[in-house]
Amino acid sequence: MIDVAFVVFSLTAVVSGYLVFRVDSMIRASFLLLASFLNVGAVLVLLLAEYLGTALLFMMTVEMIVMALFMVMFMMNPAGLNPMSMVHQPRVAAVAGVVAAGGIWAVALFAEFPDAPVVDADQAVRDLGFELLGQSMLVFESAGVTLLATMVCAVVLSAARGRYGDGYEGSVAPPLDPGGDHRPEDDLVDDDAAGDHHHGHGGM
Amino acid sequence: MMGGDRIDVPSGIDPFHPALAVPVLLAVVGLGAVIAVILHRKVASSLAGTGGSPATSAAAPLREARWLARQQVVTTERPDLATWILAPAAYLGLAVAALSVVPLSAGVAVADVRTGIVVFGAAEALAIVVIFLHGWSPNSPYALISAYRFVAVALSYELLSMFVLIAAAIPAGSLSIGAIVDSQAGLWNVVRQPLGLPLWLVVSWGVTFSGPLAVVDSADLAGGGGVEDSGLQRLAWAGARAAMLVVFAAAGATVFLGGWQGPVLPGGAWMALKTAALLAVLVVGDITLARMSAQRFVRLAWAVLLPLAFLDLLIAGLGSL
Amino acid sequence: MSLVTILLVAGALIGIGVWGALAQQSFVMLMMGIELVVNGVILAAAGFWAETGAGGPKGQVLVIVAMAVMAVEMAIGFALVAAVYRARQADMTEGIGSLRG
Repeated sequence: MIDVAFVVFSLTAVVSGYLVFRVDSMIRASFLLLASFLNVGAVLVLLLAEYLGTALLFMMTVEMIVMALFMVMFMMNPAGLNPMSMVHQPRVAAVAGVVAAGGIWAVALFAEFPDAPVVDADQAVRDLGFELLGQSMLVFESAGVTLLATMVCAVVLSAARGRYGDGYEGSVAPPLDPGGDHRPEDDLVDDDAAGDHHHGHGGM
Repeated sequence: MMGGDRIDVPSGIDPFHPALAVPVLLAVVGLGAVIAVILHRKVASSLAGTGGSPATSAAAPLREARWLARQQVVTTERPDLATWILAPAAYLGLAVAALSVVPLSAGVAVADVRTGIVVFGAAEALAIVVIFLHGWSPNSPYALISAYRFVAVALSYELLSMFVLIAAAIPAGSLSIGAIVDSQAGLWNVVRQPLGLPLWLVVSWGVTFSGPLAVVDSADLAGGGGVEDSGLQRLAWAGARAAMLVVFAAAGATVFLGGWQGPVLPGGAWMALKTAALLAVLVVGDITLARMSAQRFVRLAWAVLLPLAFLDLLIAGLGSL
Repeated sequence: MSLVTILLVAGALIGIGVWGALAQQSFVMLMMGIELVVNGVILAAAGFWAETGAGGPKGQVLVIVAMAVMAVEMAIGFALVAAVYRARQADMTEGIGSLRG
């Protein structure tokens, strides 16, 4: 029974993970990625890591909603129901992917692993709790400080106004033909009004 | 969802037989949804002073449901049919999943798992995805705009809901909702954590996109997310939404009003009464409170309501010292 | 469900993630590839914890670290994308051939 569930969940996780890069719409891509995560979360629950499984489920759901929001912010087609294919170096990428997977498969098939399965799932959750929030709370505090630094960095990076003026200063629309090293000043030659374009409004 | 063998649930709650669980839950939500719709119309008509019209009779919703079910379903150009069709079912499924961790009476819950409020929160988060997809999939501008507007609102109320639930779990010392009910034997959380219930009402209006947070299927976008729905789809979406309203009323009654606890009457009756009371509050709010613009609500949520949720956590923590 | 099968699945996820991250032009799709890699890492770490860890907390903490990495990657990644978009109106890797401001 558990094996059947495992096969179903893991196949769904892999297939939806593959489809992420195959579908036309970015919205479909982000929610297929969510499906992949949800199925991995289900496998974690099967592996008796109940806390981690539910945490993954919860965290990734909200994260992928944010992902979908950003998808559309940075897309030429907000609805995202038009066909699209935006890939480069497909062969290199495919080879790298196979090599990465092959390395792990080689480990899986040829390495010797100790056999020490989880005996008491409840005890394991308790141990994890003490590890995270025990004597010095080191793990939890490190994670907290890391995330705090992340928040500060993210706000600094994405703030519409910085030390050096408006974030949109010198910003121009990209050329219609994609690619190349496009710099704003390239466009200033024949477009005297380009310097003070203000795209968007910075509000979110 | 948690599957496997559950080990010593704190409140010793025995789940229903698995085969019974889904029909029972569906019956509870279905009945609740019908009651919610009737209540909504009665209140609306009495507030507007138009009592006694055919639309407010108890049979009217069922009549309209039958009528809607027989209508033709029209589609748009190149929609994402799978998500469009599945969205109402998924929304209802999430309502049922959320209700499964809520004890309906003393010792009667489908799955009073140890991580009850996390499961509830996960169902709530997935509901955001479903509501978004329902608006996105018809490939129609107003529906799409409403879906995005909802995501901005939803990301803002989502945090409130988790903080409020965690605060309620602090006195219980457990994430199980059964344990949260047990912890209110002496004093209800609505007294112990006065900020919890008002914030919960905001979250409930958000998840069911009604009242001040009616930003999805709203008139200002010509019907928004539901603008392209027709026939059975429209019926399913409306029904699922009424069901979700009932589930959030039930959860609020459980977490803040002591759930099934009360003198004289049996537990189930108390639970029904409290759920009905909260449902009435939610419905009256839905009818009387004006829609907030999404931008205003986002500002309010992050700048005012979120600090209030922190304060709620602080009060809960201090109370448990 | 054994450690070998779990690692095979995790390897597939990581491979797909690497392929996606390298082949996609859009920043956001590139980040999705990285997310998928971390997804595989989480699965592998949980598998090792469940089959070889005897229930100790080490493996689970590694999973939590991977989740934190994912959260940081998302936040900083999107902030960078927003900054680059403001500076260059670029939403694809080809749009920033150099880092000159």
